[in-house]
This record gives sequence, structure tokens and C-alpha cells, in this order.
Amino acid sequence: MSPAPYRVHRLIQDLNRDPRLVVRFENEAEAVFEQYGITDAERLLLREGTPRALMALGVHPNLQMKFLRIRRAAGVGGPSPLASYLRDLEQGR
Amino acid sequence: MSHVVFEPEKCPDKAARVWAGMREIARRIHSLDPDLLIIATNDHLNNFTLALQAPFIVGVADEYTPLGDMGIPKSPFPGSREFADGFVRFAAGAGFDVARAEEIAPDHGLAFPNLVVNPGGRVPVLPFYINVANDIPPTPARVWALGGVLREFITRERVAAERVVVLGAGGLSHWLCEPEQGRVNEAFDRMVIGKIVSGRGCELAGLTSDEIRRDAGRSGLEVMHWIFAAATVPHARGEEIFYEPMPEWITGMGGIALTP
Repeated sequence: MSPAPYRVHRLIQDLNRDPRLVVRFENEAEAVFEQYGITDAERLLLREGTPRALMALGVHPNLQMKFLRIRRAAGVGGPSPLASYLRDLEQGR
Repeated sequence: MSHVVFEPEKCPDKAARVWAGMREIARRIHSLDPDLLIIATNDHLNNFTLALQAPFIVGVADEYTPLGDMGIPKSPFPGSREFADGFVRFAAGAGFDVARAEEIAPDHGLAFPNLVVNPGGRVPVLPFYINVANDIPPTPARVWALGGVLREFITRERVAAERVVVLGAGGLSHWLCEPEQGRVNEAFDRMVIGKIVSGRGCELAGLTSDEIRRDAGRSGLEVMHWIFAAATVPHARGEEIFYEPMPEWITGMGGIALTP
């Protein structure tokens, strides 16, 4: 599988560190795609946003995780997967 | 040892054994009363993005605040500028041009193991990043050799009384966000553990990155961190503290201890 073009990775990296871009992406995805030079074929896969689509696009695994998280909840996750362990660490101090 | 855990509900017995193993490693590190904890790990494209990729990066800051991914508390902990700068200079003289980083917000790759083994951030930490996220990662042979350089630096340049623990954090086999996600290669994981705890970690330096990717997945390249740690005590024997093949967590989870 070839890696996705850098323009795709750059978009996801920027979404990962810029909450304002996430909001803009939610409201006007086409304009954001245009800004990053994302092609029609790439837009289709990013709009689908499934693990299968991101793998097909060749998105770096670490960036797939970030894009899936952003898509799921606009950066607002559920409870931490570490919650029970963190409680244990707190109690063990 | 592995540098993450997940919800225990799907596999409570295995999760309990993994957690107990991690706590045991924490107990052993605490009992050594180290002056410095070197954590060899990788960043997950949070600090070092594809905009600029370097193979080896050392954190040289006085203090770090975790990124906070996976719910890890953003509690600051100390670094060691003096040790880090000295090591980078020493490594340059030994043929390794290691990048220096001032502004790191460590993600779970460093912050989680640090939280477990260094509660309260009492021991200064040297973040040592091996960039396995890079499409062109360093070779296991280079990683092994650089671990040897760190050993030389500590034995030649540091005071004998200084107590340093090196923790290789990450792995084992996992195919995160790859078509084989969920696969765990227990044979590969046990091979890595077996070689290192029997003092034959140097044999792992003969692997290629492509072989590790084939047998352990792209994310399995995190075993480089184990190879680095083993290279700092090249013939030491040790013991397996825990190992669990965990398709429920899409990875092999393990931890070992080596004493020079």
C-alpha cells in the first residue's frame, strides 16, 4: 500500500492540533478540502472516514487514529481507556 | 515494557496480569532508587509530525508536561538538561547525530509508562525517541549501536555513583490500522523476549526493519525500544515479568527486567 500524499496527512495533522480547523471542517468540509488541495477521489474516502477507506487511501496508522477520533466526537472523547488504572495508581500512592 | 493498556472488561484476567506486571516493574525501578530514568519510546505524530522527521530525538528540556492523550494527567515532571546535552555531544563524537528537542508534550508513548513507574514524577526523565513512525525508520543495527553509545557515555563520562534506569517502552507485535489489525504474533513476541532475557539481544540487531514489519506489524517496530534498552546492558540476562497475547487489545503485551 502506498502512503497517502502529504496533502492528506497535512490536513489530518492540522486537524489534530487546531480545534478551530476541526469546527470549520465540520461546517464547511469542501472549503477545507479545497484549501489543502484534496482531490475528488481523496475526498470520497475521507468523507467515508471508515478504517477501510483510510487504509485504502494509505493514511499513516497514527493519523488514521486521529482522524477517526476527530470524526467520532470532534475531539471530545468518552471516558479514558485508562480510567480504572489511573484510579488504581491514585489509590496506591 | 508495553506503553499502553486498554479497558479490562473484554479480558479481565489477562488485563489484571498485565497490570500486575507493570506494577511489579514499577516496584523494581523504585527499589533501585534511580537518579535518572531514560525512557526509550516513540511519539505518535503528535510532537514530531510528518512535516519533519528525524530518526533519533532526545528531549533536553528542564520539564515536560504530558499531552494528555488517553486521559493521562497533564502533571509536569522534571527532565535532565545536563545529562541530555552531554549525551547528545558524546553521541555526535561517536557517529550519531541525535536531534535535540526543547518543546515536547509527551504523548502516551512516554507519559503512560512514566506515570506507572515514576508516580509523582519524582525521578528526572530523559525522553529518548526512536522514530519508528517514520516511513524510513532507523535500522535495528543502528538502534543497537546507539544503545551501546549510551552505555559508553554513562560508564566513561558520568560519575560512578549515578544510578540510571533505561526503560524501553512499546510493542510488542501489533498491526494498528493495518488490514491485519487484531493479529498478535506470539511466536515473534516470545522470540524477542527470549533473546533479550538470555543475553542474546544483539541477535535482534541483525533483523531488518522490513522483517519486523512483516512479523510484528508496522506498530511492532516499537520493539526497537526494547532493543535499545537491551543494548545498554548487552550481555545481561534477565527475566520475563509478564507476557500476554491480547488480540482483545490488538497487541502482544509484555515486560521484562534486565540487571547489569
